Amino acid sequence: MYISLSWLKKYVDIDVPVEELCDRMVRSGFEVEDIQDLSQTMKNVVVGVVTAMEKHPDSDHLWICQIDIGDAEPVQIITGAQNVFVGAHVPAALHNSDLPNGMHITKGKLRGLPSNGMLCSGEELGLKAGDFPGCDVYGIMILADTYPAGMDMREVLSLNDYVIDFKITANRPDCNCVLGVAREAAVALNKPFNGPIPAYTEVGGDVNEHISVRVEDYDLCPRYMGRVVKNLRIKESPDWLKQCLRAAGMRPINNIVDITNFVMLETGHPMHAFDLRDIRGEQIIVRRATEGEPITTLDGKEYALTNEMLVIADAEGPSCLAGIMGSLDSEIKEDTKDLFLEAAKFRRDSVRRTCRSLGMRTEASSRFERGVDTIGVELAMERALQLIHDLDAGDIISGVIDCNEGLPAARELKVPVQKINALLGIEVPHDTIVQILNNLCIDTTLLNGILTCQIPPHRDDIEGCADLAEEVMRIYGCEHIVATPIRGDIVRGRKLPERILTDRIKRLLISRRMREISTYSFISSKAIDTLQLAADDARRQAVTLLNPLGEEYSTMRTQLLTSMLTVLSTNYNRKIQEARLFEVSKRFVPKALPLTEQPEEIPALCIGMYGGEEDFFTLKGVVESLLDTFGVQPDYEASSEPYLHPGRQAAACHDGAALVTFGEMHPAVCEKYDMPIRVYVAEVDLRALFAIERPRVLYKALPRFPAVERDLALLCDETMPVASIEKIIRQAGGKTLESIELFDVYQGAQIESGKKSVAYSLKFRVADRTLSDEDIDPVLAKIFKKLKENDCILRT
Amino acid sequence: MKEQLEALRSEALAELQGLNDPKQLEDFRVRYMGKKGSVTALLRGMGALSAEERPVMGQLVNQLRQELEEAVTAKADAIQAQLQTARLAAERVDVTMPGKKEKNGGLHPLNVVLDDLIDIFQSMGFDIVDGPEVETDYYNFQALNVPEDHPARDMQDTFYLADKLLLRTQTSAAQARTMEERKPPIRIICPGRVYRADEVDATHSPVFHQIEGLVIDKGVTMCDLKGVLQQFAQEIYGEDTQVRFRPSFFPFTEPSVEVDVSCSECGGKGCRVCKGAGWIEILGAGMVHPNVLRAGGIDPEVYTGFAFGIGLDRLTTTRYKISDIRLLFENDVRFLEQFDK
Repeated sequence: MYISLSWLKKYVDIDVPVEELCDRMVRSGFEVEDIQDLSQTMKNVVVGVVTAMEKHPDSDHLWICQIDIGDAEPVQIITGAQNVFVGAHVPAALHNSDLPNGMHITKGKLRGLPSNGMLCSGEELGLKAGDFPGCDVYGIMILADTYPAGMDMREVLSLNDYVIDFKITANRPDCNCVLGVAREAAVALNKPFNGPIPAYTEVGGDVNEHISVRVEDYDLCPRYMGRVVKNLRIKESPDWLKQCLRAAGMRPINNIVDITNFVMLETGHPMHAFDLRDIRGEQIIVRRATEGEPITTLDGKEYALTNEMLVIADAEGPSCLAGIMGSLDSEIKEDTKDLFLEAAKFRRDSVRRTCRSLGMRTEASSRFERGVDTIGVELAMERALQLIHDLDAGDIISGVIDCNEGLPAARELKVPVQKINALLGIEVPHDTIVQILNNLCIDTTLLNGILTCQIPPHRDDIEGCADLAEEVMRIYGCEHIVATPIRGDIVRGRKLPERILTDRIKRLLISRRMREISTYSFISSKAIDTLQLAADDARRQAVTLLNPLGEEYSTMRTQLLTSMLTVLSTNYNRKIQEARLFEVSKRFVPKALPLTEQPEEIPALCIGMYGGEEDFFTLKGVVESLLDTFGVQPDYEASSEPYLHPGRQAAACHDGAALVTFGEMHPAVCEKYDMPIRVYVAEVDLRALFAIERPRVLYKALPRFPAVERDLALLCDETMPVASIEKIIRQAGGKTLESIELFDVYQGAQIESGKKSVAYSLKFRVADRTLSDEDIDPVLAKIFKKLKENDCILRT
Repeated sequence: MKEQLEALRSEALAELQGLNDPKQLEDFRVRYMGKKGSVTALLRGMGALSAEERPVMGQLVNQLRQELEEAVTAKADAIQAQLQTARLAAERVDVTMPGKKEKNGGLHPLNVVLDDLIDIFQSMGFDIVDGPEVETDYYNFQALNVPEDHPARDMQDTFYLADKLLLRTQTSAAQARTMEERKPPIRIICPGRVYRADEVDATHSPVFHQIEGLVIDKGVTMCDLKGVLQQFAQEIYGEDTQVRFRPSFFPFTEPSVEVDVSCSECGGKGCRVCKGAGWIEILGAGMVHPNVLRAGGIDPEVYTGFAFGIGLDRLTTTRYKISDIRLLFENDVRFLEQFDK
């Protein structure tokens, strides 16, 4: 919130530079977002008095003015404005001056004659209509004659000031106002806080003769105060008041509106002013709206309310959304004569809910939402009346309406003083603790090691020892907290098994020259369509966001593939020749839709690559070594994913479940991602993989005797998978067959069509001797016999 | 015969000297020492000698043979050495030519940094735990002392999936879950993905990453918190790094602090990186709020604790001076390749 230094100075004797004030505020927990030096916005602009004027000889609209700027000699300035006259007091930007709009003024010549600066309009000085008398005329701003020639315009406009933007944390609603910040500044600077003590005179009468107030729902409105002011004298506010509002970023309107805004800024309590003649039945009823009850608010919008929303109604209907916005007809108007002034506390969660459901937010509502204190309502009302009296804005009728069901007293907290130091870990002297709390308006005494604290009503945030410890710490100074090494039993930090296994997979993939990517967990709802999945495919059952940033990020992904394809496409279309990428992330799989409980979050790995030497078998090589590190010997079966090449895809299965589905992307899918190339992908179900029991690694003795090698060339049907040939060889080969390696597959000349030639190198070995032909020949014979039974014959 | 032998010796040694390739040398060996060679012929011619002369001459011829054989072996070694020198000279390469390129694999930069953090905290005895990204309103807010309709909910914009189900806005959601699952002493970090409805720009991403830290034990203090964070900061930013606390507010800690580290670029003097402040804000922390302990089933009269939340993405972008957070999620290979060092 924006607060001007001069406003703070009304209540605290600030005798340090603004930077130091801000530094101390930061150190006591009030972040400063910005310090604006208003005087820097304007330089070398002074009050000038026009002493003489003549028409420019070469122009029909320029005037040559002699301007008294308080020096011995007047300066000559040429202006094109037509509202200047001899004797006028005007703002004159002299040679080398700066204006708030960024303009830099130097002397020059206009149609051949020297001009030593510029006369300024209100707009050129950064003023908006109503900001300052005379600023909104067409042409040059005309000042009152009371401002002498040569006076710095910054002084005229009260710009010798700073505006500080404090960031107030959500636990300190009491500091969303000048008095709250001033109270804290006083503590930070160790100065007394001199808050306003309102005083005014009343004209007699009785408020109850003009209006009655009934609160029906004290649960939403714990306190409602009302006063009546008659014979309003609505006019412009004085400069000091306007300046305060402007510095806080509010526009001055008229004295009554300005006073309510001023009080809100100063005390943090939003006030509302009703035109008394518009309150029908001379009564105010604070009640829940009826279901569907209509209201037209000040901004001209119509709303249908619910019975959860609090309204300020008169005898006939709601005239105000309590604490949020008034309605069109009960507002103060230019001809308003009599005023009903409201100050109240509305429950913060009620205001918040109403604002959310109607999509509204106002200066008032944001304050009620954060919370205002019940006791302070009275100060706000008194302060407003004092200003009405001081500015002679109306006649204050005697009598106070104050509806409440009992006002809260200060709460008492008893805390062992040692607990505060135990939490902080340092020894703050006990009398210092007492003094700090007292300075913070928390009346505190210390007896037998127990602090007894009276928590003032504006400090609802203080509930116990921890809160008091924070108060002590932030005033005593965080710099007193010293870093101590971690204590306790020496324990080893452990990772979850899933993280250890994931790390292992990542290491393996990196050793295979693969690079990790990271993509958003939510994707477009349309992304899944690119995969050509069947309508009833489970992957189409996705969790969607109720309030996404846009369609592009609206759906929690059930697969990682589309994100991978997007990244591959980005790289391909940036002319990157090759990519080998992987991502480990979660798939979000709902147990039921619409969602009633947390979806399953299933860890998955996606691999994607293109370019270079990549083909189906380089991909399969990665898959094989991945599964091998888990000790899994899967069965590779042809699969049928619609987004993969129908002849180049497989599933690696273990115990009947697919652990990995991989293959070449279907060209039709690649096309959707602007990749007219071959792309290879694999999707690994990490949850299933992690669930497989990993074999214990045991040392095997290195062979002491040489292996005997035999090469076989076989002829079989071209559709016969090599895996089934290997299976036959392995089964027939028995224990002496150590390994089988496929080294050639051939089709073409010399081979009967429909057949293929498959060549293997077989190694036989036993641990205790070198095998002889006599050992191997019967094994080979058995292998040949079994192969032949399966129409797989030895090539001769 | 003796003269003949001497002449043969001189002739052979002279010839041997002039030889310089293995073929000539083999030829030489055959001509002198082969079955029909000159030295062999001498032996054969000994039949004409007397019985007294024969052993003397035999010894001389054998001496000659041995001498020549040694000379041939020496010559062969010399020729081999010469040839090797010549071959090596011929094989000289331009060592300034580039090596054969083999691409590396590597972790995503976020995980390069995360692994460093995990190492640091694991070595301080923190367990590394995990939590769900789709959270209930209870764990993300209520158990963290943020009741419904509390203004603190405005501190973050939340993505909702259903009534009371949301994408966690903070890894702090792991706090109550951890307390329910474990008994003090607790010392964990929970790294993970979090979500907030921030429009995407150079410094904001609706998806980002945090590391929540939580320590609960008897007698844990603010000073312990500072000690752990200082250790962490010095590992990450360098040994001279200082840590500063500034009072702040988070609903789930009390007292709460923002934590600054002295700027590692300028050492605290003030520079462009720290915007002249000399300090860089890196995380929020504080003592676990008694209400949060209670929600986790831990008696705040017996135990105290601290919690902190580190923003991994910001830590990564500041470490590598990455100007735009979007680069982290775009995954251009030329970007990803830069973080293997």
